[in-house]
Amino acid sequence: MLEARGIFFEYNGNKVLAAVRASVEKGGVVSIVGPNGAGKTTLLKCISGILKPTLGTVHLDGRDALGMPRREIAKQLAYMPQSMFFRFPGTVFDTILSGRRPYFAWRPSLKDLEKVETIIEEMELSELSMRDMDQLSSGQVQKVLLARTMIQDTRYLLLDEPNSGLDLRHQMELLETVAALAKGKGIGVMMAMHDLNLAARFSDRIILLHHGKIFSAGVPAEIVTPAKIRDVYGVESIVTRDNGYLNVQVLCCSGEQELDKPGRLPNRLSASGRKN
Amino acid sequence: MSTGVEAVFISYEADIKRKIFFLVSLCLVLLTVMAIGLCVGASGIGLGTVLASLFKDTGRSFGIIWMLRFPRILMAVLVGFGLGVAGTIFQVVLCNPLASPFTLGVGSAAGFGAVTAIIFLGTGSLLYGVAGGAFLFSLLSAAVMILIAKLKKASSETMILSGIALMFLFSSLTSLFQYTGTMQQVYEIVFWFFGSLSRVGWPEIGLAAVMILAPFPLLLRSAWDFNLLAYGDESAMALGVNPDRLRIWSVAAASLITAGCISFTGVIGFIGLVAPHITRMIIGNDHRFLLAGSGLVGGIILVAADTAGRTLWTPLVIPIGIVTSFIGVPFFVFLLMKRTREYW
Amino acid sequence: MIDMHTIVSQKRLLHFCRMLVAMSILLQGKTALGTSITVLDSMGRKIEVSLPIKRIVALNSDVLEVLRTLKAQDLVVGVFSEIVRNRDFWGDLAQKSRVGSWREANIEAIVALHPDIVVAYSRNPGPELEKKMAPFGVKVLRLDFYKEDTLEREVMTMGRLLGREKEARRFCDWHKLHLDKLIKRLGLVKKRTSVYIENYTDYHTVAPGSGGHDMCTLAGGRNIASGFSIPYPRVTPEWVVSQNPDVIVKAAAWGGGYSLKTPAVFNRQKEEIMKRPAWQHIAAVAYGRVHVMDSAIWTGPRAIIGMAYLARWFYPKLFPDLDPKAWHREYIEIFQGISYRGVYVSSGFQETGK
Repeated sequence: MLEARGIFFEYNGNKVLAAVRASVEKGGVVSIVGPNGAGKTTLLKCISGILKPTLGTVHLDGRDALGMPRREIAKQLAYMPQSMFFRFPGTVFDTILSGRRPYFAWRPSLKDLEKVETIIEEMELSELSMRDMDQLSSGQVQKVLLARTMIQDTRYLLLDEPNSGLDLRHQMELLETVAALAKGKGIGVMMAMHDLNLAARFSDRIILLHHGKIFSAGVPAEIVTPAKIRDVYGVESIVTRDNGYLNVQVLCCSGEQELDKPGRLPNRLSASGRKN
Repeated sequence: MSTGVEAVFISYEADIKRKIFFLVSLCLVLLTVMAIGLCVGASGIGLGTVLASLFKDTGRSFGIIWMLRFPRILMAVLVGFGLGVAGTIFQVVLCNPLASPFTLGVGSAAGFGAVTAIIFLGTGSLLYGVAGGAFLFSLLSAAVMILIAKLKKASSETMILSGIALMFLFSSLTSLFQYTGTMQQVYEIVFWFFGSLSRVGWPEIGLAAVMILAPFPLLLRSAWDFNLLAYGDESAMALGVNPDRLRIWSVAAASLITAGCISFTGVIGFIGLVAPHITRMIIGNDHRFLLAGSGLVGGIILVAADTAGRTLWTPLVIPIGIVTSFIGVPFFVFLLMKRTREYW
Repeated sequence: MIDMHTIVSQKRLLHFCRMLVAMSILLQGKTALGTSITVLDSMGRKIEVSLPIKRIVALNSDVLEVLRTLKAQDLVVGVFSEIVRNRDFWGDLAQKSRVGSWREANIEAIVALHPDIVVAYSRNPGPELEKKMAPFGVKVLRLDFYKEDTLEREVMTMGRLLGREKEARRFCDWHKLHLDKLIKRLGLVKKRTSVYIENYTDYHTVAPGSGGHDMCTLAGGRNIASGFSIPYPRVTPEWVVSQNPDVIVKAAAWGGGYSLKTPAVFNRQKEEIMKRPAWQHIAAVAYGRVHVMDSAIWTGPRAIIGMAYLARWFYPKLFPDLDPKAWHREYIEIFQGISYRGVYVSSGFQETGK
């Protein structure tokens, strides 16, 4: 089990996270949802050790992860950033191969190369394998990054909005791959998500973050409710269950929430709500 | 499935082979350019005499080949190699294609250090003084650059900006020396500013070789870390790299290399910027091959430029910095027009 | 044959110079009737100056030396700032107001001194000097004093301007007498000594168009760089080795020879040259005929002293009795009015002079 407890994080005196607790079992999928600036990305970075939490503990199968060497963490826990820039891009093959970096020093072993080849084949990236990363579409980039994360052979995956910028088909493809990894290989997945419908559909549990604190956590049906959506996102909505899936339909901005939180921009929220 | 996997494997192998082939070709070109450089010169000693002089002492020709042409060519190779490697490191570590020893002020600082040593220790036999001064100041400027960036959360723009500020500071300090110095000092600085391989002898080469080549294996060993760093700090950290530590030691190593290049030959800029890009355009950004490739390309350009500079208008010498630009700029522009890869 | 031809052409050159001097005097004679005088400066410009001249700013050491030769140092109100490096030589003149560097003067400082004329080199400072001085009615006179072929004419011009023709004539006579001594005996030279001259910066030599080349040629040397088209070219060490010069002369950018007690400064440079890789194959190095000369006697009004040293280094057998030091003493004591001292060349002179 990957478990973070009592995570506090401050940046330039601003409290970004306060007393956050998050955990995922092997084979489980946990989604972290919440409005912009709620602290989703920061939480994932704290758990993966990229940011050092001000206070709190992270345990990897019972071992203290924050005290482990970077390379050791990289063998247990893979982190896929939301986006990357390619100033000096390498080829797709080399980029995926770099996911094996925790296991080899300079020259990748034959086994490493075979793993890369297999995953390229599985994810249908063969045609692109010798292209440079900057020549790919954003969907292809996300696929390559997921492949690189998978090839790290870790027991836990931390994904930061893996479906951002993708069209419907690619979103489904990618999330189905993630779900298959969890169920098929028993990997624990924790991912930050914007889309409540998809989060509800692919997750065993959902953590709803609001202003750096856990507003609520539980199975999707407990979290995705009109009341909680109103309190956290400031929109009125109805939640229905069609074909066995939860479906959020956003109606309008809530008036009182707008007055209550002058900093929030109702336009943007309703826009992102409509996207769902 | 196995056929698909094999196809991927084959194209990967082909890619690696292509890169190795490129490096081997570069070595051959470099050797050829060196051989040409060895056979031409103001004294009109031709191929036959050169070959004879390689194996037995033929008096004056022997002296010219072994004491003048050889050191000159070897130093050109070393300096070109060093500037190419240092440029590559600065670029990847700062994630900035405009980075190079000179655009970052490390070159100017090394220059200032060398000039300071020349002025305060006097001219003549002060090999270690000049090299030490150059290294000290290049390291100092790199340290200031990293420190500023560290305080402001190491963004590559901050590093570049502070580097440019340092470049202006050290250039001005050198100019101040030139303005207030005695005539002797002024002419010494002039020599240094022109950039020249004429003063180089075997002791200089020995010291420069240590400063330029010693850090190279360490840098090469971290090639994968540089590849990861090119995709950003977070991505690198996620794969077990410590970006800050990598950045600090590799910038220090690149500063040492820069100092080695600049101490004995003066200002020979530009190669540090262009050689890495030429190599990137041809074989891509895999640092396992890019580091050596940039070095070899830098060496080839510098030897070619020096040979051209001392033969085109023989016996007059066109200063090396001028020829380097004449050879490098058109080639670079040509590649820019033809490139398929876009980085910036 | 070639040698004889060049000697003859040297004589022609000198003759031409004297004609120029005569001409410029003629030109002045016509216009010197009123309170103003028109002279030809080193750039060939006619400059009209009101008389009498009472306040002068001297922007470089060559001008200042000539002014002292003309006993006109009292008229100097402003001097170049570099004068402080050579206080011993300049004495009280170093106490005058300083107006900035010889190549970048401080215009404001000059104007504040209310000079009648400013004297500078042809090329330094740039033409902005005239532009800035014009509104204040200050005339800028460009006189070089560092080229052998125009030195006498320029000194005469200066003398005429200041009404010190007698002093100017005296210097020119002395200069001509000594130059003739050298040239007369150099006419006997059969095979000219080949010379590599290194300017202040290493591996920078001098070629036609530079004062150093003229000095070398007048002193009977064959400058190995005489075929070059740029005055101050850069060369490779290899080329020098392949040319195998008989003598190497390095101009040291010291300038403060008057204050020196030992030749250590010059000897260090001499050793550095002799130690250069592969240079042991050069005849000059093999026979120890490498000499370093202070810039004080290298070109400028004292070039004749430098030439005397050169002639003696080039042809020690031809000039066993030539004593450049005695000439220098004459110049310093008669024309500069100070006592002779200092060291101006590297040692090793006695050995080659035997």
